[in-house]
Amino acid sequence: MTCAIETRNLTKNYGGNRGIRNVNLVVEEGDIFGYLGPNGAGKSTSIRCLLGMIHPTSGQAYVLGKQVGREQTEILKCTGYMPSEAFFYPSMSVDEVIRYAAKVRGLDCGGEANRLCDRLEVDRKKKIGQLSLGNRKKVGIVCALQHKPDLIIMDEPTSGLDPLMQEAFFALLMERNREGATCFLSSHVLQEVKRYCRNAGIIRDGELVKVESVEKLTKTNLRRVKVAVPEALQGLLLERLAGVEGMSEMTRRGVEISFSCRGEMKRLLEALDGMEIEDLLIAEPSLEEVFLHFYD
Amino acid sequence: MYLFWQECKMNLKMLLIWAFCVGGLSLGCLCLYDSVADSVGKMSDAFANMGAFSEALGMDKLGIGTLEGYYAVEICILISLGGAMFAAMLGAGMMAKEEEGHTCEFLNALPLGRGRIIGEKYAAMFVLLAAFHGISVVCSLAGFAWMGSMPDVGHFAKYHGAVFLMCLEMGTVCFLLSALQSRKPLGLSIGIAVLFYLLDLFGRVIPALRKLKVLNPFSYSNGADIFSEVKAPAGAWAVGAGVTILALGLAVWAYRRRDLV
Repeated sequence: MTCAIETRNLTKNYGGNRGIRNVNLVVEEGDIFGYLGPNGAGKSTSIRCLLGMIHPTSGQAYVLGKQVGREQTEILKCTGYMPSEAFFYPSMSVDEVIRYAAKVRGLDCGGEANRLCDRLEVDRKKKIGQLSLGNRKKVGIVCALQHKPDLIIMDEPTSGLDPLMQEAFFALLMERNREGATCFLSSHVLQEVKRYCRNAGIIRDGELVKVESVEKLTKTNLRRVKVAVPEALQGLLLERLAGVEGMSEMTRRGVEISFSCRGEMKRLLEALDGMEIEDLLIAEPSLEEVFLHFYD
Repeated sequence: MYLFWQECKMNLKMLLIWAFCVGGLSLGCLCLYDSVADSVGKMSDAFANMGAFSEALGMDKLGIGTLEGYYAVEICILISLGGAMFAAMLGAGMMAKEEEGHTCEFLNALPLGRGRIIGEKYAAMFVLLAAFHGISVVCSLAGFAWMGSMPDVGHFAKYHGAVFLMCLEMGTVCFLLSALQSRKPLGLSIGIAVLFYLLDLFGRVIPALRKLKVLNPFSYSNGADIFSEVKAPAGAWAVGAGVTILALGLAVWAYRRRDLV
């Protein structure tokens, strides 16, 4: 399978300031890839490098098998991009912006644009200057999808969209993915990455710290454990748990003791053996906890 | 060419305001000539003998007692200065407005390429400047026709051709500034236009500044000089053409290499 996106030691410095450092990323065709990181981690810098808006300090990037920079126009023909803050010319109407984006591509996307506008409830007669961020985002989604691109790149796509529109947006994205498009979503909303993406990359301080399937990311040996024992036995329990490796974040609330366990489950069960346990919960960590783990 | 048409459309309002203000003022001043002719005639002799002041405004060469002299000395200043300021504002906004208005991500995500973006925008600026001068030529000719006395065709055509080139040079320099920055350099651009106009005025009366006239686009587009057949400083046309080509080349080179923010 060919790669929709491939970067090799991609680095961008802004003068003395850090942008991204040695990012090696592979997104395969047909994937829905979540690019996770807090504000300022380097998500938008990576995307702007891929789209040729900024020039990398070093390293190479390839999009749909074409080299970024050298074959940029060819790349952009097959790509649909929506920036995090969708800005258009305020004096133009929504309809003019949508037709502008299609005509510049030399395409007649009227039918698909109508379908997308209906699905997203876009009022095409309004002036851009009258639109809220959410409505501008909807126009951005139409502009990014109307030409049926092979690669869809969206930078924080759901910010500003109401929950119903978020559902409609992801339904459209899933349809496009089933038709063969690759989706690359930059986000810091972990739940939407967990729900819709197959693979995810986590970027921290400009460095890609982890690329994994979302399933594997959440299936670490880390477990969240809650144990309820009578107060009289809590001292004994804490004593036994202290001997188990990989214990952390221990808190005590009433009869309940909660903690994270990264060690062997067998050792934990041995420590609990014979205790008068009132309640026990051992759960997989949420994506938020996995995400935070990379930022600890 | 969709970007070219869009750019023309977006700047149409500014074009109409400037062209009809400058053109309308020229027309109005020409049509009012009869009513001010007597007083202008009396002033003409006085102005012609005011030394440096007369020299700066070209009244030592042409009298404002005739319609053509009045046009060359008074109205051409309005057209040259108005045209230069319009060109400066237009050039200053062309590229930088995309980053200032945060629309550069939308524009640069379209499969145009930076070379085509800057090329179509420059072509739009060229056409808008040509339209501005077309309107000002029509307004001036209408004024002359109203007065029943047409100007010398050669002088008139040479003057308007020279002003168009001066505005193109001014616009291209400001276009270069716009391609280098992420904010519209409006103040700087208008400042450059006014500064060059003032340097041309001073260059006519201060001997030390005369050598610099060759660098000034106002020197080859001075109405009084052209209508009185005084030659522009040697090389001024070539310098103007060279600056225009160099500024455009630098703008393309810089814009293709810049990081867009």
